[in-house]
Amino acid sequence: MTTTIQVRTAVVARGLTKVYGEGDAAVHALRGIDVDFAAEAFTAIMGPSGSGKSTLMHCLAGLDTVTDGRVSIGGVEITGLNDKQLTLLRRERVGFIFQAFNLLPTLTAEQNIRLPLEIAGRQADQELFDRVIETVGLRDRLKHKPSELSGGQQQRVAVARALISKPEVIFADEPTGNLDSRSGAEVLAFLRRSVRELGQTIVMVTHDPVAASYADRVVFLRDGLLVREVERPTPQTVLDTLMALEA
Amino acid sequence: MFRTTLTGLLAHRVRLLLTCLAIVLGVGFIAGTFVLTDTMNAGFVQSFAADADKVDVVVTPKGGAGPDENLPESVLAAIRAVPGVKDAQPMVSGDVPLIGRDGKVVGDYPTAGVSIPPSRIKITSGRAPSAADEAVLDEDTAETQGFAPGATIAVLDQAGKRQEFRLVGVFDVGLDQELAYRGAVAFTPGTARRLTGAEGFTEIDVLSSGPSPESLRTAVAAAVGDAKVVTGRERAEELARRNHMDTSSFRLGLLLFGAVALLVAALVIYNTFNILVAQRMREMALLRCIGATKRQVFGSIVLESAVVGLLSSALGLLTGLGLGAAAVAVLRAVGADIPTGTVSLSPLTIVVGMCTGTIVTMAAALLPARQATRVPPLAALRTQVEEHTFRTGVVRVVVAALFVLAGVGLTAAGVSQGPSQEALLTVMAGGVLVFFAVLILGPAIVRPLSGLAGWVPARLFGVPGRLAVDNARRNPKRAATTTVALTVGVTLMTFMAVLSSTMRTTVQDQLDQQFPADYILSSQTGTIPRPIADTLRGSRELATVTEFREEKAKVNGRDYKVGTVTQSAIGTAIKPEASSGTMDGFGAGDVAVADNVARDLGVTVGDTVTVASGGKSTPLEVVAVLKSDVSMLPSFTMAEQSFERHFGRVGDAQVLVNAADGVDPGRARKIVDDATAAYPAVKVSSTTEIRGQFDEALDSILMVVTGLLALAIVISLLGIANTLSLSVHERTRESALLRALGLTRPQLRGMLSVEALVLGLVGAIVGVVLGIAYGWAATATFTEDVSFQLPIVQILVFIAASGLAAVLAAVLPARRAARASVVGALAAS
Repeated sequence: MTTTIQVRTAVVARGLTKVYGEGDAAVHALRGIDVDFAAEAFTAIMGPSGSGKSTLMHCLAGLDTVTDGRVSIGGVEITGLNDKQLTLLRRERVGFIFQAFNLLPTLTAEQNIRLPLEIAGRQADQELFDRVIETVGLRDRLKHKPSELSGGQQQRVAVARALISKPEVIFADEPTGNLDSRSGAEVLAFLRRSVRELGQTIVMVTHDPVAASYADRVVFLRDGLLVREVERPTPQTVLDTLMALEA
Repeated sequence: MFRTTLTGLLAHRVRLLLTCLAIVLGVGFIAGTFVLTDTMNAGFVQSFAADADKVDVVVTPKGGAGPDENLPESVLAAIRAVPGVKDAQPMVSGDVPLIGRDGKVVGDYPTAGVSIPPSRIKITSGRAPSAADEAVLDEDTAETQGFAPGATIAVLDQAGKRQEFRLVGVFDVGLDQELAYRGAVAFTPGTARRLTGAEGFTEIDVLSSGPSPESLRTAVAAAVGDAKVVTGRERAEELARRNHMDTSSFRLGLLLFGAVALLVAALVIYNTFNILVAQRMREMALLRCIGATKRQVFGSIVLESAVVGLLSSALGLLTGLGLGAAAVAVLRAVGADIPTGTVSLSPLTIVVGMCTGTIVTMAAALLPARQATRVPPLAALRTQVEEHTFRTGVVRVVVAALFVLAGVGLTAAGVSQGPSQEALLTVMAGGVLVFFAVLILGPAIVRPLSGLAGWVPARLFGVPGRLAVDNARRNPKRAATTTVALTVGVTLMTFMAVLSSTMRTTVQDQLDQQFPADYILSSQTGTIPRPIADTLRGSRELATVTEFREEKAKVNGRDYKVGTVTQSAIGTAIKPEASSGTMDGFGAGDVAVADNVARDLGVTVGDTVTVASGGKSTPLEVVAVLKSDVSMLPSFTMAEQSFERHFGRVGDAQVLVNAADGVDPGRARKIVDDATAAYPAVKVSSTTEIRGQFDEALDSILMVVTGLLALAIVISLLGIANTLSLSVHERTRESALLRALGLTRPQLRGMLSVEALVLGLVGAIVGVVLGIAYGWAATATFTEDVSFQLPIVQILVFIAASGLAAVLAAVLPARRAARASVVGALAAS
């Protein structure tokens, strides 16, 4: 890990606009968002239902096209890339953790973890692999199929998979939404450790103030606009901010 | 419940369409068969009815065909004397070999020489013969030989003398199959009788001067005595019935293929409904939650299948009408003699088509419907569809083992039974049982087989390849049913290929043994003049010339053919196989007897038999009993000298010629042709030609059967497409995940193609194994000495084609999967 004086940004969005439908039926999901996500930091995106937080994540990750504005990941502008280029970009620079259905049921935990590297045709760095496995504590579960793992274990496999390819940024969409509070806390702790110890950049969408409090910074969305930010959040400050927004 | 079902069906029109297509094709084929055969029958009836009105009473010999059975001359006069008879026209028929453009007689059998009553003959161009030196030729022969009215044609009369006639017209033999096959020249009655030497008539047509056909029939019958007398209408009906029987067996043959197609369709439907039920678990559970009974859930699935069945059967009938019309058009275009009739759907066709289609569909949906009733209401609350974990149950193994045991046992019994029709049937019954075993064991064997078939693709196509193989093995029950549908077609095709290649080699081996000759000389009339063989023997380019001669004689008081063969050829050019005794040192006073005849007469080696003819009798000692099925020698073979002493100088029945080593085949052929040029009745055929003809016949049978089986293959491919598209639907989120993780669209498409490839290969491999095994077992029941021949190239083509076709079937589902938006699929949680 190198110590940089100036904070590098991993993901930048400028004037991000997303409109679904046309004319009267048009829904403005994002109305011109400017936001930076610092590298080697853990950022949470929060907001009430329908505020556009998932749409923002999909657009930032290149999963969805934008109506207007620009997004760049690690200095590469992704708006304007075609499907093939986007796929390759995701393969090389982006990791994902979804709320559910993160794993292929036919593969073992280890195969699932190695999947992104294999798709990219790269070799896993064995040292990194071991460290990741140690970090998420899955050593004795590697040969198991997803159906033989608990929900928390499945999410940890997903975290390991996201970490293994050392992506520029990991996008996590409600990663603890399906877990009980203990498993959820575990997964969040792993995410934070991977930022601290592995220098990983993570952007997480959540509606849970406790989950958000694990992040270094929380950005708040309402009606497709970025309305507030909180640095070094606690559950209480997050909750207070949310209450203020709902009011 | 009814409304729910219907709205459900309408909501999934595309899914409905694919499911329907399988039944549409099956029913279409069956309906098409009926349409075609109905049209043919209607045509026959029409043309017979047209014929019937021209003649009032028909008199034919009681026994049947054959010159000895003919109506005597006196009958004609007797009929003409009956009151009410306006005219009685005799029909004469015999052999009048036509000499073709090449100076040789035409065809394998002598052309028929006939006289046809003017009221019956259908002249298509020119006119009927009216003078003694005039003749007309049947259309087909006229065309192939290139004779037109005005030409001079030559025939051989009963004495083998060349006679020339003026061709004044061309006629249509109509539905007389014998004349159509042999070709026919028609003359005036007097000329026909002079040429053929035939005595009596084969038929007499009577025209009435007033009385009704029925009363005239009674009067004529009384006058002629021992003959068959019917009215023209009765005769037409009889002929129509006979042709109807022909079309009936033709129809039955085609329907067998239709049944295979429907069986495959049933498998496809069964699988489709199974998947649909699995996918609609939550829907069913919701219905149960809000109060639907098990019976209602069951009913809704059955109702759905009934709607699908009725709809596709109706479409199938329309398809059948089109197919039938197309078949009629094609058959007419290639020159098959199908009388014109209107193509239509008869009520019977509609009933049969609708019933089979609907019943097959509903029957196939019964098990899935029962499965649907087992969905607990609680399943509505579960979020994720459970993965099917398949474990091979004990019951499944035991039942399958019983089927295998019974099937293999029957097959082994059939094979060891020796060649016979019953043995073949036993083997086939065994085959059906083994197939059921495969059907039951399918889910258990499909996993290892997919691993095998997917070994190369998994290594060749990287991650998508490996994922594809995993997916193919993921739901063994579904994969098994999908592939078994393909297996049916591939099994039958391989079976036919093995059969035909084995038959080909076997027959060729037998030809080599039995006709160890390059050329065979035969004569259409009488015998081959001896000077021909003598001339051939004088040629240095020919190695051996073997003559066969035959005469009728009484042996131990019974009629047999007694013959001889060139003495020097025994043991060299021809090698008779003796079941007892030997022909080594065969000499005067010896005789070799065919085994079947020896059995009839009860003679064995060492016994004496007496050959008697023309007042002479010769005692002979049996020195060998020959295997009749592989021998080309007559029932009794005498030494050349003693045959000559008894029968005198007889012409050859057959001459086999072998060219010397190193002689150009063209040169040898020319020598043989030159030697026979002066004798139009003597035909030369080369064994290569005979082999070629046999090969051609075999090839065309194989082609037709393969073409008919292709339908079953197409239907099973629809099944693969259907299964894949339903699986794609089921795995939408998985595909989205893979796309998010960096799988490109082409890679995702490739993944589905490989999955289809693996399914196709598994189906083909099982089919090929079964087909080869049963091809071998079946040929073992045909004849004693089978030269089993594996058509390796053909089989490899089958496997490759199955794989390729499966990949093609996956094109649309793969495109759909690749097109889906990642976000949309992820959001649908």
